[in-house]
Order: sequence, then C-alpha cells, then structure tokens
Amino acid sequence: MEPEAGHILLIEDNPGDADLVRLRLEEGMSDVRVSCVPRLSDALASLDAETPSLVLLDLNLPDSNGAETFHRIMQKAPNVPVVILSGRNDEALAINAVHQGVQDYLVKGDITSKQLERAVRYAVERQALSRSLEIARKQQIEFKNRFLSHISHELRTPLTCIHQYVTLLLDGLAGPLAPNQTDHLKTALKSVNQLHAMIRDLLEATRADSGKLRVEPRCIDVGELIQQAVAMMGPAAAAKHLALEALPDQTIPLVYADPGRVIEVLINLIDNAIKFTPTEGAVLVQAAIFETDPTLVCLSVSDSGRGIPAELLPKVFDRLYQDPGEVDNNRTGLGLGLYIAREIVTLHGGSMSAASQLGSGSTFSFTLPLFSLAKLLLPVITFQGRLRDSIVLVRVELTPLANSLGGSWKETCQRCLDLLRRCIFVDKDLVLPSTGGSGPSETFFVVASTDMAHVDIMIERIRAQVLALPRLQASSTLRVTAEKIYCPASDDLRSDDLKSDDPRSVEERVAGVAACVTEIIQHSLKSKPNINQKETHENAN
Amino acid sequence: MRTENKTEGQPLTRPKIMVVDDDPDLRHALSLRLRANNFDTVNAGDGYSAIAMAKKERPHLIILDLGLPAGGGFTVLKNLRKYPTLADIPVIVLTARDPEGNEKYTLESGAIAFFQKPADNDELLGVIRASLQAGWGLGRALQSGPA
Repeated sequence: MEPEAGHILLIEDNPGDADLVRLRLEEGMSDVRVSCVPRLSDALASLDAETPSLVLLDLNLPDSNGAETFHRIMQKAPNVPVVILSGRNDEALAINAVHQGVQDYLVKGDITSKQLERAVRYAVERQALSRSLEIARKQQIEFKNRFLSHISHELRTPLTCIHQYVTLLLDGLAGPLAPNQTDHLKTALKSVNQLHAMIRDLLEATRADSGKLRVEPRCIDVGELIQQAVAMMGPAAAAKHLALEALPDQTIPLVYADPGRVIEVLINLIDNAIKFTPTEGAVLVQAAIFETDPTLVCLSVSDSGRGIPAELLPKVFDRLYQDPGEVDNNRTGLGLGLYIAREIVTLHGGSMSAASQLGSGSTFSFTLPLFSLAKLLLPVITFQGRLRDSIVLVRVELTPLANSLGGSWKETCQRCLDLLRRCIFVDKDLVLPSTGGSGPSETFFVVASTDMAHVDIMIERIRAQVLALPRLQASSTLRVTAEKIYCPASDDLRSDDLKSDDPRSVEERVAGVAACVTEIIQHSLKSKPNINQKETHENAN
Repeated sequence: MRTENKTEGQPLTRPKIMVVDDDPDLRHALSLRLRANNFDTVNAGDGYSAIAMAKKERPHLIILDLGLPAGGGFTVLKNLRKYPTLADIPVIVLTARDPEGNEKYTLESGAIAFFQKPADNDELLGVIRASLQAGWGLGRALQSGPA
C-alpha cells in the first residue's frame, strides 16, 4: 500500500518559493494537506498543536539560520521526517543535515512535482522504518536483559541447594569425613563459589547495560579500603608466594565514593594481578592525588606479571574479553570483571585505564573524585550570593545496645539517614554523607542554616522521627546535639572584619565554613570513645 | 538425628525456627543445619501454610523465601502483621532475588534482615542468634500473655 502523505508542514519564508512548492505538492499528490509558516517560532508552535506527517524546511528563516534550524525542528519533533529545501549554494549544509538524521534534501529551482512526491513518500516511509527498527532494537535489548536477569535468578536456586549440602557435609553435620573426602568437597565448594561469582557478574553486567547499576557515594578513606582489600586478597597472594603490598599516600583527603563498590573494583584488579603474576612476583596497590587533576585521587594496582601486548591493551575492558594465553590452568570468570569495574568507576565520575610493558608487568589505574564539602555546602548555606546569617552543626549519634545485628544494623543506620533527610529543609540544610567510621556506633552530621536558639525544633523533630523507627528503641541509643559553626552577628561583637566588609569572596567563606565543619567532624570521630567530650557538647546545647 | 545434642544441658525448650521455602531439598538442608545448631525447626512450603503453621507452632523466628506459591513472601510478611500473636516474630528473608529493589522493601515490610541465596551460613546463624537474644524477652512475654 502506498504510504499516505497526509499533512505536510512547509516552513518557508519566501512567499514565492512557498507557493511554488505548495503547487507542486498539490499537483503530485491528491491526498495532501499543506500548511505553510514563514518562521521557526511559528513552526515550533504548529508542531506543538499538531504532528504533521512530514516537515519541508528551508534552513534560512528570519528567526533561525543553517544547522540550528533543523536541530531545533528535530529536537521538537524527533519522530517526524524532515526534508530540506536548499538553495544551490548551500547544498553542502544540506548533505551534512542528511548525515545528522534529516531524511532528504531538494534543491529549490530544480523541483518537479514528480520528484517532490517521490521525496515526500520515501521520506515518510524511511522514517517509519527506522523508527520501528529503533523500537525493535530497544525491545530486543530489554528482552535480553530481562532474560539474563531471570536466568541468573533461576540458576541461583539449585546452586543454593548444592551450596547448602556441600557445606553440611564439610562441616561434619552428616558424620565425620576422611581427609580426602574433605579435599574433594572443598574442591566442589570452590566451584560452587566460582559459579556464584559468575552469576553475580552476569547480573551486574546486565544491570550496567540497562543503566541500572547504582552507587551510593559517601565520604571514605581510600587508604583504609585498600588495606581491607589487601587483607581480603592476602591468602590468595600467599598461596602463590606473591608479595602483595599496599602503599597508599597517607595524606590523601577523603574521597566521595561507594565503599562497597570501590572494594569490589580493587578486589577485581588485585585478583587479576595475582592471576597473571608468576610465583615469587609482586603486586603493589597505591593511591595518590591524580597528577593532572588534583580534585581526583588515583588508585592503581601494579603487578610484575608477563604484561599485556600493546595491541590487546585497548580490548581488556571489553565485555567477554578473556586473556588468550591464561597462565594458570584455572577456569576464568565470564570475562566481565574489568567491564563491570570500569562501569562502576565511570558511575563515580572517574575513569579507568591500563598500561603495560610486555614481560615486566601491568598497571591498572582508576580515579575517584575527592570529597569536597564546600561544593556540597555552597548552594545550601548561601542565599542570593551571600552567606546565610547563622550556621549550626547537628550531630546525630546512634549506638547499638547489643553486639551488632549484622545486616540489620547497617539497614537501621541507612533508614536513620533517610529519615534525617526528611527532617530538614533541603534548600538550607544538608545531611552530610556518612563518614564511614569503623566503630560500632554511627554518627551523622547535619549542617543547618539556623541558630542555636532555633535548632531545638530540628533536634526534636529528628528525635521524634528516628525514635519512631520500629525496634530502634530496643536495640540502640540515640543522642542528638548541636553546636555553633558560624554566626557573624555575635562574632561582630568581637571582630569587626567579619560581616559586610569581609574582603573574601562567598566561595572563600564557604570553604572556610567547610574547613571548620570538617575539623569538628574529624575531631569528634577521633574522640569517639571519650564520653566527657560528648557530654560537654550536650551541655552546650 | 544426633540426639546427644539434646542431652548436653541445653535449655528445656530450644528456640523454634520456621523455615518457609518452596524447595523441599533446601528446607531439609537448612533444617538439618539449624537442628545441629540447637534449634528446633518446623517447615512450610507455601505462603498459605506458612501462616497456618505459624499460628499453630508459634515459632520464635521465621526464615522466609520471597518467591512462594500461594502468596509470596511479601504477602506472608503482611499477613503476619495482622495477627497480634504473630506480629512480633522476627523474620529473616532468604531469597534468590536481588537485594536491589527487594532489600529495602523487605525491611520496610517488617523483616529484620535480608539475605541473598546462597547465604554465608555463619552470617545467617549470627543474625538468627542476635535477633533471638534481642527479642527473646518479648517473645516470651507474648507467649505467656493472653493469646
């Protein structure tokens, strides 16, 4: 069936050209309705009111010129085919437009009704085809992702059963085992764990593909994370007689990243390094401020392995990349590890790269953003280009009563943090990211644009909300205190250089507040076990 | 079953754990492990019998799968909250489903912990013991009070 031309929107400012084109159109096609507008603004309004089956577009209009014209139209109506009417002297521009998604171009003056009809019908047809292809492609990806996600879940069920029975036997719950039986079961368990890791990678890669990979950044000490990762991988390195060493620069400030994800990336890189380094070799994990951008920290894992040939280096982050000449005769993973690792780093706003010298080793590096309190504070503690009148730091401390409830405690803290966000005014208060302290209690900080006289309202709100958490009162104690950060009105009494005639820019003053907040937080985290310290703050309130 | 465990000066009543999972093999394995760790166990294989069994047996803790026939895990969690005698039984969810999208909802629905299968046995037992210790008095009070 011949596609219907239907309604054509003609955008042409020259009345002579417009009439000619309209005439040619009506000659060629009996079923066509043409509406003509002279300006881009009229065209955009018309597209708002009605979707035509095609746009015929002159690029040079009174209110728009050249490429800008078709960009605006295509942005407004991405699914409507566009055919350009060009003059003889701007054919190059028209061809360029075709590269960018315009369906066709016609040179004014050469237009016959036959040619015009053909161009219109083909453009409509092609647009419909490419649209249905795009929809089919999206459906296919969606189907693939759902399929993989479903399969991974289904695979887990029998795997769980195998895992449970193998560990039952290994733990001697079904009777004593001979030493070689124990060995066989351990081998089986190792394979179960490998399979589990593969299923997890498959799901993660599927998530990365569909943009569903999530990171929850908080303030973290990368040195500490590196130590943790190295400790976790120590046994694997020791088994191959490798020296696994961590050398983080101790002076690195806090980083803004998801600690679980960073450990995941580090373990992936260290695991690879161990795998590709022969016995007696060395693996070194380092961290330092990134040389070319001091707002980033660079973490790297170097090994003394055999290195990666230059031609393969760009491919290592590809999905399903597997080393062609595996050293260990071990089964590898799915070839998704580095792909997922790089996706995670990218989500943090960092980047990952690999460098290698064939025969002497490889280095995998990635960057993470440094935590900048000032950047987070700027929109909150300033108003109309000025620092707010008074700023207070509220400290919310949650201490578990019994020994940790494992995942449940972590979740309690998360819910507490979620609640805190509901207790504040988002435009003038800020719940600081969790500081990731390693002690049993969790401390959250809120920077509030209020003064000591009014902060009690917020404290009461926080207490009421958090204590209403189910099971919280039975399992933990809550302490909410506040202290003054900045209050120029009272400072003025002591020093006259603070308020209106402070020579520093707003940014500098925000940085000053951020530094002050940071100092208090660091101090309070260090002095955590000191009860008296906390009492004084309590009294101060 | 190894009976020597029961005679080694254990408390008279061992905490009773209900395992709800539609996979009988996994139920069996989990029960074996729990009994070896001095817990009594009862089982249910679907959402409907989970509630019936909970009413009858009054377990001290429930290990609950999410994908279940006759009312999924979330329905079970919701229904448990409807009965005053069952509402305070701690529930640990053990599921093949992803934490993403499920963990938060699980905890909001009243469960105390979320584990993805296959879970680490020691971690799971740790959370079971911790929550029984924390909620032991509460469970007792409810049991001796009017039902």
